[in-house]
Formats: sequence, C-alpha cells, structure tokens
Amino acid sequence: MEQGLVARGLGKRFPGVVALKGVDFELLPGRVHALVGANGAGKSTLIKILSGYYPSYQGEVWVDGRPVRLVRPDLAFRHGIEVVHQEVDTALVPGLSVAENLFLERLAGGGTGVWVSPRRLLGEAGAALERLGFALDPAARVEDLSLHQKQLLVIARAMLRELRYLILDEPTAALSLTEAERLLELVNRLRGQGIGVLYVTHRLAEVERIADQVTVLREGTRVAYWERPFALAAIVEAMLGAPPGAIFPPRRPEPGETILSARGLFRPPRVQGVDLTLRRGEVVALTGLAGAGKTELLRLLFGADRPEAGEIRLLGRPVRLASPTAAVRLGIYLVPEERRRQGLILDKPVRENLSLPFLKRFARFLGWLDRDAERGFAKQQIQRVRLSPPDPERPVRLLSGGNQQKVVVGRWLGGLPRVLLFDEPTQGVDVGAKRELYRLARESAKGAAVLWATAEIDEALGVADRVLVMRDGRVVAAFPTEEADRQRVLAYATGAEA
Amino acid sequence: MKRGFPERLADFLLRYGVILAVVFLVVFFKYRTTAFWDLDNFLDILRASSILTIVALGVTFSVVVDGFDVSVGGVVGLVVMLVTALMVIWHVPWGFAVLTGLVAGALVGLLNSLLITRLRIPDLLATLGTLYLLQGTQLLITKGDAVYKGMTNPWSPDRAQATGAIPPDFLYFGQGYAWASAGFRGVPVPVLVMAVVAVLAWLFLDYTRFGRAMYAVGGNPEAARLAGIPVDRYRTAAYVISALLSALAGLVLAARLGSGTVGAGRDYLLDAVAATFVGFAVLAARRPNVWGTVLGAVFVGILLNGLTMMNLPFYVQDIVKGLVLIAALGLSYAIRGREGG
Repeated sequence: MEQGLVARGLGKRFPGVVALKGVDFELLPGRVHALVGANGAGKSTLIKILSGYYPSYQGEVWVDGRPVRLVRPDLAFRHGIEVVHQEVDTALVPGLSVAENLFLERLAGGGTGVWVSPRRLLGEAGAALERLGFALDPAARVEDLSLHQKQLLVIARAMLRELRYLILDEPTAALSLTEAERLLELVNRLRGQGIGVLYVTHRLAEVERIADQVTVLREGTRVAYWERPFALAAIVEAMLGAPPGAIFPPRRPEPGETILSARGLFRPPRVQGVDLTLRRGEVVALTGLAGAGKTELLRLLFGADRPEAGEIRLLGRPVRLASPTAAVRLGIYLVPEERRRQGLILDKPVRENLSLPFLKRFARFLGWLDRDAERGFAKQQIQRVRLSPPDPERPVRLLSGGNQQKVVVGRWLGGLPRVLLFDEPTQGVDVGAKRELYRLARESAKGAAVLWATAEIDEALGVADRVLVMRDGRVVAAFPTEEADRQRVLAYATGAEA
Repeated sequence: MKRGFPERLADFLLRYGVILAVVFLVVFFKYRTTAFWDLDNFLDILRASSILTIVALGVTFSVVVDGFDVSVGGVVGLVVMLVTALMVIWHVPWGFAVLTGLVAGALVGLLNSLLITRLRIPDLLATLGTLYLLQGTQLLITKGDAVYKGMTNPWSPDRAQATGAIPPDFLYFGQGYAWASAGFRGVPVPVLVMAVVAVLAWLFLDYTRFGRAMYAVGGNPEAARLAGIPVDRYRTAAYVISALLSALAGLVLAARLGSGTVGAGRDYLLDAVAATFVGFAVLAARRPNVWGTVLGAVFVGILLNGLTMMNLPFYVQDIVKGLVLIAALGLSYAIRGREGG
C-alpha cells in the first residue's frame, strides 16, 4: 500500500476565478513538505481542500493508498489530517481551560457521560500533555495563553486523535524569535514520530532549515518542486515568476532636517523611556523581539495612546497628540500592525478605504462628497502603489494580504506625510508585495521621515539607513546600517549584549 | 462563470424578496378586504407607517455606527407627554413646546452617547437603561395621568382643572393635509414629514463625508480611529440624531392623537427595530440603509393595517410580525453566507 497523503489534479473554481488548477501534491509520513507562493497563489485553497472545508472540488486525494473525498472537516479528521490555521483562535474556546479544550470533542460528543469530574479531566490532560512533552498548564484558561501556547494546544489536541498529517499555515508569522525557534523544534520532533507535516510559510529561511521538499505555487498552478538541497534564489524566482533582482531598493544617504524628536517617552509596561530622532529623507528601522515595545512606541508617536511622561516635538515645536485625529492633521501617519483589524474597513471598496482620512478634501458645501474627485484620487493612488487588480470599486476583503497592505500604505501616501510609521508592514505578505512595500517606503522618505518597525532583523538591515534596537521598552542600541550586522543586532535584541 | 437557473432564481429572491413581499401584501389585502385600493387609502397606509418610519430612521443611524438605540420608544413617549402637558397644563405656546420636546430629545441622545463613549457601557445595555428611565420620567410629568383638554391638573394642590389646550396649528402636523384641492384630499402632513426626513437622511448618509465617516465607524471602529476619524464624536452625533428623530416622531404622534396618551411610544420600539433589520435585506444591502428602513417600515405598516382590517386579534399581529422579522433576517444572513462562500 502506498503511504502518504497524495493529491492528483487538485482544482477549485470560484465564480469568476480559478483559484487552483490541477495541482499534484504528495505529503509523506515523517517528512516536512514546505508549500510556498505569493499571496493569491492558491496555498490557502489547497489547505482548505485538504482540511475538508469545501463541499466540492476537482481532482482526487488518496490517504495511504485509499481514495477519499474530503468534503467535510470531520472526514479530514477521520483520516488523520489536522490543520493549524493562522488564526488559531477559531479552533479554541477562549473561556474554557486547556484541559477542557484538549478534550473538547469528547466532552461535546458525550463520550464522558453527563457528569464531568474537573479533577479527573485535569489529571488526564496533565498526563497527556506530559506524555506528548508539551509544557502547558492544563488548568490555564485559553484566553490567557500566548499565541504560541494556543498553537501547541491545537497540535496537542490533534496528536491525541491519531494525527498522521499536520498542516501548519504560517505558524511563525506572529511568533517571537524564541517562540518560532521552539515551534521549529517541535516540527522536527513530529517528523521524528513519523508525522507528515505540510508547512506553509513566507519565510524562506525556515524552508531551508526544516523542509525535506518544497512545492512552489503561482497563480493556482504548481510551478516548481524540489527536494533537498534547495537554492533559495531559485525558489524566489519561481514564486515571482521572474528573477528577483535586488529585493531592497538602493539606500539614499544624506538625511535632511529633523522632523520628529521624542524625549523620555514613558508609558509602562512596554515603553520605559525612549528618545529618538527622525529626519527627512531617512528610513529608520526599529527592531527587536516581539514584546519589546515597538508597537506601543509607534502608538505613542501616533497619538493612539497617551504617554505618561515625555515630550514629542514636530519640526522643533512640542506637540500634544491627543488622538490619531490630531496626529493625522499634523501629517503623522501609521500603518498599523494588524491591517485587517486595524487598518481596513473590509466590506468597503478600495476607493473608500483610500480616501477615508482625507474625506474633507473631497467635501464641498455642507459636506457633500465630490465623488469624481474622490475616484480620481483613488485611481492615482492605485497606480502609485501598483495595486492588483487596479479596481477602485473592489471590496478590500477580496484582495490578497499584500494588496490590502498596499491600500493602507497608498492611503497615507495620498496625504501630506511628514512622518510615516510602519508597524510590521510585511507580515503575511508575499515576496513580490514586500519588494513593493520597500520601494514605497524609500519613495515616501523623499519628503518625509520613515520609521519602520519589524522583528525581522534581515528586513531591518535591508530597508533602513539606520537601525534602532529595542528591548524591554528601551532603545538599547542604534547603528548606521553599514555598521550593523545580524549578530550584533540580535545580541542587543536578546540582551546578550547590553 | 455560467450559473444555473435555480441559482439565479435564488439570487433574485434574495435581492428582491422584501419588495416582492410588499407587493404581495398589497395585492393580498386588496382581495381580502374591501377598502384598500385608492390613492387616499394608499396615503392612509403611508400615514399609518409615517411615525414608525421616522423612529426607524433614528434607529438606523444608531445601527450605522454599529450601535443600537433601544431608548427610542421612551423618547417618543416622553415627548408626547412633555409637549402636551406643557400646552395643556402650563399654557406654553406650541412653538416653544415643540422646541422643548426637541431639546429634550437631544439631551437624551447626549446622555446615551455619554454612557456609551465615556463609561463604555455596551450600546444595548446603556440605551435599555435610558429606556426605563424615560418610561418613568414621562409619567412623572403628570404623576401618571393622561393629558387631555379639561383634565385635572395633577400639580395643583386643590385639584383644579387644567385650562390650556392644544392649538389647531399644532394638530396640523398630525392631522392636516397639504396640497388639498377639490378632487384630492391632500397629502397627510405626517407623510410629508416622513418623506422630508427620509430624503435628508439618505442624502446625509450616502452623499456627505459625515455619512461616509459614520459608515466607516460602523464598519470597523478601530480602523476608523487609526485613520484619524474622531470615532466618539460620530457615535455621539448618531445617538443625538437618533433621539432627535424619535422626538420628532413624538411631536407628530402627539399632534395626531391630540392628547397625551400614557404609553404612547411603547409599540414603536420593536416595530422600528424590525423595520431597520428588514431594511438590511432590501436589494441585498446587508447593512443599515435609509430606503431599506423606509420600505421595512412601510412593510410593517401595511402588515398591521391589513391585519387590523381583517379583524385579526392583536396577538396574532405580534406573531405575524415575529415571523416576518425572522424571515427578513434569514434572508439577509443567507445573502451573507452566499457572498462569504
């Protein structure tokens, strides 16, 4: 009997689009198979088919030699296929304990009878977690867990019901460096136990570290497949469909005058006294581990939170940023960390999302909106950020992650930016869109100061003229990019060097 | 992509379901009752739905900013009692009474928004609290009595008769007709008020930057805030508008009744909420919208009018209203499911 999860000619159409066309794919037990591709390449469609999300699809799937139709989620479970989605919360009940979530199926299915002894449940859960080697407190409430702990919980639950094939959808996208490290170790262990892992990621460094095979999707088809060893450049080329070229735009030295300066910004626990200076024509990267206080610092500079102490000066004059409204009026703009939750109104078209902060500009007598002017503005910004498709009336929820981010950036470029704050702008964004975002940051730095927060050190070094390293709420180091290298930045970020 | 007939039929029904239902109701009631066909009767139906429509448009504003104003029924009742009592008991000129009613409405809106934006009480609970408050307050004005000409003044130590009256100028807003001529009874003034309010609300929400910002606040408050929209200010405005429209509805109702009836606003709350949510389903809008709400209110109005003419008892009306609301919500959520697919 042929082992493995094998798919032939897998396809899925939606009204107007073919999301996946005739993809062949194999996941073997005890192997890690990486799946990469730009946003919209069909990765999520492929995962959804394998997890039984769609009631219909084209092509055929075999599990260990037996043909199966994965048309319901429970059918996927039954064949030992489990998915850990990026939004891991959807699989858990926040108000219940780890133990209750671990045995959720049994509890819901009546396998435990009417009466549940909490003590026995905790005991069993503790024993199971220990056997699996997961450091989780069975009594903790799920809503208090970190993202990484939630992932562990979902994986543990899957392992309790005879997991054979595990699908991880960008599991490290929102993890800190140390957590990501632990997750990769876990993947290694799972492989050792004979589990086949389908690993979806945007981070090619991870592919190199843990994958045995890699499949590249582009525009719904499988364009490349390799086994170890990989050439990362070839993978990037396959994803983009063209030679990658330099992914970072050239630097532009000679910064101009100081635009924004902050002294002693303080808002515990995450911002513990920060000084910084941003100059025109300069891209400054703010890096550090997750939880170092980058997001919180940016929120202070944008007026989304108020500092308990400290001063912010814009063009030399002290400013009080009472709200984002005040910051926007002064030309301080933020591209927030979670674009779907904080950046966009998903049901609204691209046009309305672009014009949102500047409605006043299109307003005539009594607030009447000049729609032609608004549409003209939208088209101009769409062109500027190279949105695809270039349709101002498309609801943003239908755009890929990278293009959604371009909408948020394009919105601010349409204003009069003095300071542009980017918070992890390339998270969950494909290589092609990343390159565009770097280009836009560089372009906007012509007239403004750019502060780019990212946990990815390589990105910080690639995009910026100057790198600030944050740890525990303080800026602990600052280098011109030429003098910074990965090791030193990491040493400051982790506290190995103070 | 080509789609089969059943699928296209389903799409059609989802889009036009509510409109078809209104047409069906009109035809149905025409054959089941006698008087239900000429222009006058049609305008009567609109008049019967006009107050409800105005209240429902207020609720729509609150729903646009992703809130929910259930205090509207209380505002209608409060304003009815307040303006009639002012005129009958305290001899206040009607123009001034009207102004007082509107100011009272605006204050209630401010109170609601204060509870919601400052104290961070969830919208439904905050306005529920206000609703109770208003139901009590409206009775406090007259110590629980109804207001009518020649009533006993509840505040007079010797229980003297109240000597004020509600002037015809005021009654015109509830009972009058505009553009009357020899062959035409005229358009009922409440219908006129409703039409003006609806058109203004539509222009405001769909064509001005304020309306756009309100929809943005309702669509994603956090994203709107981080785009520099003063979210709390727009929510405050929405609740004030909601209360003001309810106050206006209360004025029209007082003029229509010609007296201050205890508990007059009570029925409007549920009907207005129903109308707003039925409006979600009109043309597959999936969001609060002015013409959807108007159609929803007219729909509920026709239903009530027709059921009354068929001499069905009031409790059957409630059952029918419940079924209709469930059907409309089913429609609009079915649309969501299809688009999500």
